[in-house]
Amino acid sequence: MPQSAQRIDTPNPSKQTVTRHTGAMGAAMEPIVTVSGLWKIFGKKPDAARELAAEGADREQIQAETGCLVAVRDVTFDVHAGETFVVMGLSGSGKSTLVRCVSRLIEPTFGHMEVCGTILADASDTALRELRRSKMAMVFQHFGLFPHRRVVDNVAYGLEVQGVARDERHERAREVLTTVGLDGWADHYPQQLSGGMQQRVGLARALAVEPEVLFFDEPFSALDPLIRRDMQDELVALQIELQRTIVFITHDFAEALRLADRIAIMRDGAFTQVGTPLEILTQPADDYVRAFTQDAPIAKVLPACSLMRPVGDVAVEESWPRTTETATLESALPFLLSKHRPVVVCNAEGDPLGLLHQDDVAAVLEQNLR
Amino acid sequence: MSQTVAAGPGASASAPASRRRSPFAVTLATAAFALVIVGFVASVGAFPESWNLGLADPIDRTRRWLINNQTSHWLYTVLLNPLTDLADAGIRQLEAILRWFPWYVYPVFCGLGLWRVRGRVAGALGLCGVVLIGMTDLWQQGFATLALMGVAVFLSLVAGIPLGIAAWRNDRFAGVLRPTLDAMQTMPGFVYLIPFVLLFGIGRVPALIATVIFALPPVVRLTDVGLRNVPGPMVEASEMFGATDRQTLRLVRIPAARPAILAGTNQTTMLAMSMVVIAAFIGSGGLGQDVLRAMRDIDVGEASEAGIAIVIMAIILDRFTRGIATLGERGRGPRTNAHAGGSLRAADTAAIRWIAAATALVALVGGIVGHNAFPEWLQWHYAPYINDITAWARDNLYDIGSSGIGTGPLSDFITVYMVTPLRELLSSGIPWPAMIGLGVLGGLLARGVTLGLGIGIALFLIGWLGMWELSMDTLAQTLVAVAVTLAIAVPLGIQASHSDRFQRLIDPVLDFLQTIPSFVLLVPVITLFHVGRIPGIIASLVYALPAAVHYTDLGLRRVPAEVHEAATSFGATRWQRLRRVELPLAAPELMVAVNQVIMLVLAMVVIAGLVGGGGLGLETVNALRRSDAVGRGFEAGIAIVLLAGILDRLTRGVADRLRPPAAA
Repeated sequence: MPQSAQRIDTPNPSKQTVTRHTGAMGAAMEPIVTVSGLWKIFGKKPDAARELAAEGADREQIQAETGCLVAVRDVTFDVHAGETFVVMGLSGSGKSTLVRCVSRLIEPTFGHMEVCGTILADASDTALRELRRSKMAMVFQHFGLFPHRRVVDNVAYGLEVQGVARDERHERAREVLTTVGLDGWADHYPQQLSGGMQQRVGLARALAVEPEVLFFDEPFSALDPLIRRDMQDELVALQIELQRTIVFITHDFAEALRLADRIAIMRDGAFTQVGTPLEILTQPADDYVRAFTQDAPIAKVLPACSLMRPVGDVAVEESWPRTTETATLESALPFLLSKHRPVVVCNAEGDPLGLLHQDDVAAVLEQNLR
Repeated sequence: MSQTVAAGPGASASAPASRRRSPFAVTLATAAFALVIVGFVASVGAFPESWNLGLADPIDRTRRWLINNQTSHWLYTVLLNPLTDLADAGIRQLEAILRWFPWYVYPVFCGLGLWRVRGRVAGALGLCGVVLIGMTDLWQQGFATLALMGVAVFLSLVAGIPLGIAAWRNDRFAGVLRPTLDAMQTMPGFVYLIPFVLLFGIGRVPALIATVIFALPPVVRLTDVGLRNVPGPMVEASEMFGATDRQTLRLVRIPAARPAILAGTNQTTMLAMSMVVIAAFIGSGGLGQDVLRAMRDIDVGEASEAGIAIVIMAIILDRFTRGIATLGERGRGPRTNAHAGGSLRAADTAAIRWIAAATALVALVGGIVGHNAFPEWLQWHYAPYINDITAWARDNLYDIGSSGIGTGPLSDFITVYMVTPLRELLSSGIPWPAMIGLGVLGGLLARGVTLGLGIGIALFLIGWLGMWELSMDTLAQTLVAVAVTLAIAVPLGIQASHSDRFQRLIDPVLDFLQTIPSFVLLVPVITLFHVGRIPGIIASLVYALPAAVHYTDLGLRRVPAEVHEAATSFGATRWQRLRRVELPLAAPELMVAVNQVIMLVLAMVVIAGLVGGGGLGLETVNALRRSDAVGRGFEAGIAIVLLAGILDRLTRGVADRLRPPAAA
């Protein structure tokens, strides 16, 4: 693999990453999705285009000289079990192409992808199909629902393809529909549902096959802002319960902050920075990333847990204020401003997950003002 | 419409190839221009008769040879005759099955079916319609037509759907198939009959084959289009769940393409219906034969009875096939109007089931007992009344009170001031080399070198076939009919696009007109306009009007609302908005309307050869009437196809030119 000048390696997860909602150290986990040196080049001269890219040429230069479009440019990352990895980029940055390459809906030009221990690049059609049936699922931007099938048959589609008997798959589909709050809608057709409900069907369809890895391709961008907010909250709640490995694509920085354990900022096909929300906010790699951080209403969107540090050896005192893992930073601000003591972030059962320190929060908010 | 070539950097960037003038194009344009000049200077007039390809004789010889060897040659004994016998047996078998059921089964089931798909009123009308066919003693002919139709549609679908799937799967195959289908759809139905008469003679089997081929294109095309238009995310979702290609095709693609495939089935059925009727010319039998015989005798009453029976059948078949297409969609619509289509109440559905079950039981008993002929006491002919009306119309409408107002003077006016001068101009006023030169220039401007050259060759071929004057006659009639149609249709379309109420008012009328098979339209027209070139032109007008109004309306309605509002906000009057904003934006769609009108008019003008339309149509009609005229008819048929091709490509080229440059 030729090393590009722009290549940015994934930060060592053991440094600071606390996988959100679990409090466990990321380093302890196996990577479920591994991608290294991934390229997608549209056009007839991919080798020439890649060489030019390695010399530091940008997209326009490469397109002018070779006629090729470099959609994904030497991307490398790992996603660990139970982690939510968000790829954030504006339209045309290659993020949708990236997720399609990782799931091999389209063929990458160069690179290595591994999902649940299967190397995708040389997987046969049968092996790939098997992997898709048992290990992965995707939720699409425009839902990709089947208008000729009832909601329950949409949700049961993955099971039907696997050859699960009718009664069994319907039973499972109705269970999942209950999980996403759609009982009673099973016998409707998707078009009869609102946009938000349709995407719940999309989500249920993906969950029905019990995948280890879930790919989300801008799932909420076609929805109204209020509905989008609801869906994000619901996804967070579901993730706390289900603990899937998630690769989530979005163009909305606030959405990325809300959902991510780690964020990759993508521009012109390459990752410009990969890090936890805290890292992105406090140490933006360049002006491009900084521009995003300055626009984001950080205190409102960032969950308290995203800035917390591991409890470690610290003795948690009973008198310290507490907050929940899904609460926003804003809700913890009064406690942080009043006294010099950390706020304890707890899960639903009241167990401490981590500590929120005044300095960290101050650093993030200061960064935001700059 | 003056800005045919969009100027500016955007246009040149989006289509550099077509705008660049190749040296060859310049040479061709110069040559064409020289032809025009030389033609006028030398004033050579019509195409010289001595230059003749002489295709008629060998074809007539082939025809004679085929007739003589029909019983002996292996081509017939081994291949064609067994096929003919098989097809004929199939039709006969279906006819026998249809006859086995007692007569009352048909009105009851048609009524129930239409009730189910369209509501009570449609059901009642359907029932009455079917009874009316029986009352006018056309029951047996109706079965003959229906059996031929049934076999033809079945074969078209059996061949067409797999062809559509193959075209979707294989782009190279689609690349060959699509232009073929285009060419097939530009050919007037009438012309299809000639080669099959040549090969098989007169009878039901050549009629069947011509019908199958004529009716094939829509179902092939719409299957292909339907499969291609299945949204990408749906297919991706299916693949993402690990579906095999076959599973995706069966569970996702075909169900998603179902509405398109059923729409294709509807169009195929309607084309088959119109062709089966026209095929009466080569002995398809059935209702078409009755219309044809009555028309030859100018017995408008008889022709009307058979014609109305055909229209009833066509409408019932159309509503049924369309109803099936929309039935599955019912209740799946968007949430806002989920129940708009489902006018049927549960009580209705239950009633329909009960009546259907009871009738089926009675029918079985009736079929076994053998009491199945349409009862004679129910018979009632309205032909005499129609004849009375016709006679009255001739006496009173042809020239109302000798005032110079009426259908006669109108017909004279069109003949004297429009058709005849234009025909003179085209056939001898413009010298033939100049005509070819103008054709080449038109093609060059509309699309480019290939079309220019193609038109030049096609026009020369028409002359070489010895069909120059007849073609110019047909062209003149076509152009007059197109002009008259557009003059009426475009204002109607504009009005329909502006007023939903007006659209709702004319929609059912146009819908009805569109369902009438072309041939049957001639019946009322000859009542009012006698025979000659004018009935053909008037019938063309009626035949082409629905499509023209529809496309005008559609084009104007596609103008985005914001553009509309922007124009209004600058203080444009309604007329200014129409002229400066809506019409230019709708221009490509309007050109499609022109294209459709030309193709429909041409098809009708050719059929009008039967009622004295002259031109190429008459030669074709003769070919189907007399076996010694097949050669000449064949030549005329080729000329029609060439003429249709020229007009089609030319108008489509202009339509493409009018399209604004696509977004980068």
